[in-house]
Amino acid sequence: MKLPQLFVTFALVAGSAVHAATTIVRGPYLQTATPTSMVVRWRTDNTEASVVSYGLERNELTSSAKAEGIGTEHIVQLTGLKPNTKYYYAVGAAPVPPPNPAKKAAEDAPGRAAINSFTTPPPVGPAKPTRVWVLGDPGTKNATQMAVRDVYYKFTGSRATDLWLLLGDNAYPDGTDADYQKAIFEMYPQTLRISPVWSTLGNHDGKSANSITESGVYYDIFTLPKRAEAGGVMSGTEAYYSFDYANIHFVCLDSHDSDRSAGGAMMQWMKADLAATQRDWIIAFFHHPTFTKGTHDSDKDSDSQGRMNDMRAIFLPVLEQAGVDLILTGHSHVYERSWLINGHYGKSDTFNASQHVKQKTNGRSDGEGAYKKPRRRAPHAGEISVVTGSAGHAGSATKPPPLNHPVFYLSLNEAGSSVIDVDGLKLDFVFLNEKGEKRDWFSIVKE
Amino acid sequence: MPRRGFGLAGTLCNVPLVRSSILRPVSGCFDFAHLTPRCTALACALMCVTVARAHPEIENGLAELNPRIEATPNDAAQYLDRGELYARHADWIQAEANYLRAAELSPRLPGLDRARGALALRIGNPREAGGHFARALALDPRDAETFILRNRARVALGDRAGALADLQHALRLIESPRPELFLERAALIAAARDAVRSLDDGIARIGPVHTLQLRAFQLEESAGLIDAALARLSVIAAQSERKEIWLKRRGDVLMHAGRIAEARAAYGAALAAINSLPAWLRESPDSATLATELARLSGRAS
Ligand SMILES: [Fe+2]
Repeated sequence: MKLPQLFVTFALVAGSAVHAATTIVRGPYLQTATPTSMVVRWRTDNTEASVVSYGLERNELTSSAKAEGIGTEHIVQLTGLKPNTKYYYAVGAAPVPPPNPAKKAAEDAPGRAAINSFTTPPPVGPAKPTRVWVLGDPGTKNATQMAVRDVYYKFTGSRATDLWLLLGDNAYPDGTDADYQKAIFEMYPQTLRISPVWSTLGNHDGKSANSITESGVYYDIFTLPKRAEAGGVMSGTEAYYSFDYANIHFVCLDSHDSDRSAGGAMMQWMKADLAATQRDWIIAFFHHPTFTKGTHDSDKDSDSQGRMNDMRAIFLPVLEQAGVDLILTGHSHVYERSWLINGHYGKSDTFNASQHVKQKTNGRSDGEGAYKKPRRRAPHAGEISVVTGSAGHAGSATKPPPLNHPVFYLSLNEAGSSVIDVDGLKLDFVFLNEKGEKRDWFSIVKE
Repeated sequence: MPRRGFGLAGTLCNVPLVRSSILRPVSGCFDFAHLTPRCTALACALMCVTVARAHPEIENGLAELNPRIEATPNDAAQYLDRGELYARHADWIQAEANYLRAAELSPRLPGLDRARGALALRIGNPREAGGHFARALALDPRDAETFILRNRARVALGDRAGALADLQHALRLIESPRPELFLERAALIAAARDAVRSLDDGIARIGPVHTLQLRAFQLEESAGLIDAALARLSVIAAQSERKEIWLKRRGDVLMHAGRIAEARAAYGAALAAINSLPAWLRESPDSATLATELARLSGRAS
């Protein structure tokens, strides 16, 4: 055991002795980030109070916030923060004094002695270079999930992940608390502590969640902005919501278990939300893809009980009318990326490239050139649709999926995750496979 | 295994009910001496559960559940799990067959009657569903989900008062209900003012949620409660970074009420809101079209 590790272990043991052997068994993790607030969550094995000590310097955690009561699930909201500012924090049962500088090595170690940090989102509106990590259907808990994760960690290096998106089916097979523990909390502890995560509900998450009463594991684990805390219009539910980050407006829909009808509440909310935004970019994410010929088939009415049809025929036209730029989905355990498309709402045999493709190029700055969209928000100016549902596994290698939907420029039966970099009016997208290869990339430029 | 009772029963989707001629209420289905055609189908279904299914998620679920059922064939909970797996994939016959087996083994199994009721409701048998829900609530009178489902069964049977009572009960049991439940309750209330009051109760509980405000506005407008509708629009507009749509709506309401000068002011305010947008939004086709219309309406108003 190396010396720093030994020291951390000692510190943990010493801390534990004081606090009746309480151990942090989950987190901390960051939720509902806004320019001026952050929700910090963690779980302990014993009941205790919930306190977050925080400050602008590692050794000066001079502020603290606490939640009422005691418990094992700790949810503390920090408020009055400065935008785009790095904060150090530590969680525990009581405010903690700043640690000895010698404990610096403890930053990435779990436990009560750890001091972590996060950076608050910038003020809403102005552009700021933003990195987003996108994981669809990650939660297999297996070597593939780990490989996909490690490839991204290597790719991003010291570049911070400003936020990350989970596209549903986050924890197989049933989205139970134990599934989440292994598939999310023990899989991404480092990212959870420093980067806010936003999620949408997948069918496997839905097995242990109850949408009617908005209860169950998924809703217990995530604290999502039902009151428009992070921008957008108030949805009143964690099943679908929106948030802003710099000049990007993210819209999360529930394709699994909310009413998907044209007159339903989710649609009414979405219309108002999209009409209200003044952000440069609109990125929508939900679990069930509008198009796929991967491990699911969007042409089959019976596949996923028509959810893919609903999202394509009912929601897609409204998203396009509102000027959506990028649609991210999972569910199909492949990578499929469209041309810059618009107006295709039927089955694949109704796809007509001359009618539905706005720009039939690969969208690569180093190839046929980035996709161009007008700066002014124009309805039906085209969007890229990406199915990136292979962060936990890809489709069968022996019985490979057809991957022949004509809406896609590229379809890959490969595990991997996606990365979005937004810098002002340019959006760069990359798909990294589990071997660390950059297997697809494109850019959208607004001018 | 997942928490029992979710899946089909938990859905919020208002999809049309499927009607099946083979699935009618029966009792004593596993009295094989008196098999009805439906029972035959169900018994056959249960015996054929190991037959490979087309859907990979069912296959995966069955791969886990079938060996467990083989190992403990008298564990009712496993049949409930398998029934719910089938129900999630709209295989109603297999779902019902498994529920019936579970009911034979353990009639009071928690979650079973709710699941059976949800299935009956889903396939268009609200009366049968009501019976299951009543039994479920007798076992667990704090089961909000079952109250919500029974409310829907009662709506299907035309019992709006009973439905409303169930929904009220559910809303009392849930700490932070989804807006859809308040909308569902408002739809059961005939008098517009009372429906609005019910929505305001929802707003008091979960905040000025857009969909609740919008429905209240629509009710107020259709009931001729103009000032209330206008106040409502102000709240909606306050939540929106772009106010022009709601200001135009305000103008429309005022115009319809014959309050021409106020309508003109509202249209003017909408136009001003557009003009205050950054150029890239102001010059968008939607904004330009709206601005043209507002100019026309202002002219007509004046
Ligand atoms: Fe899925």
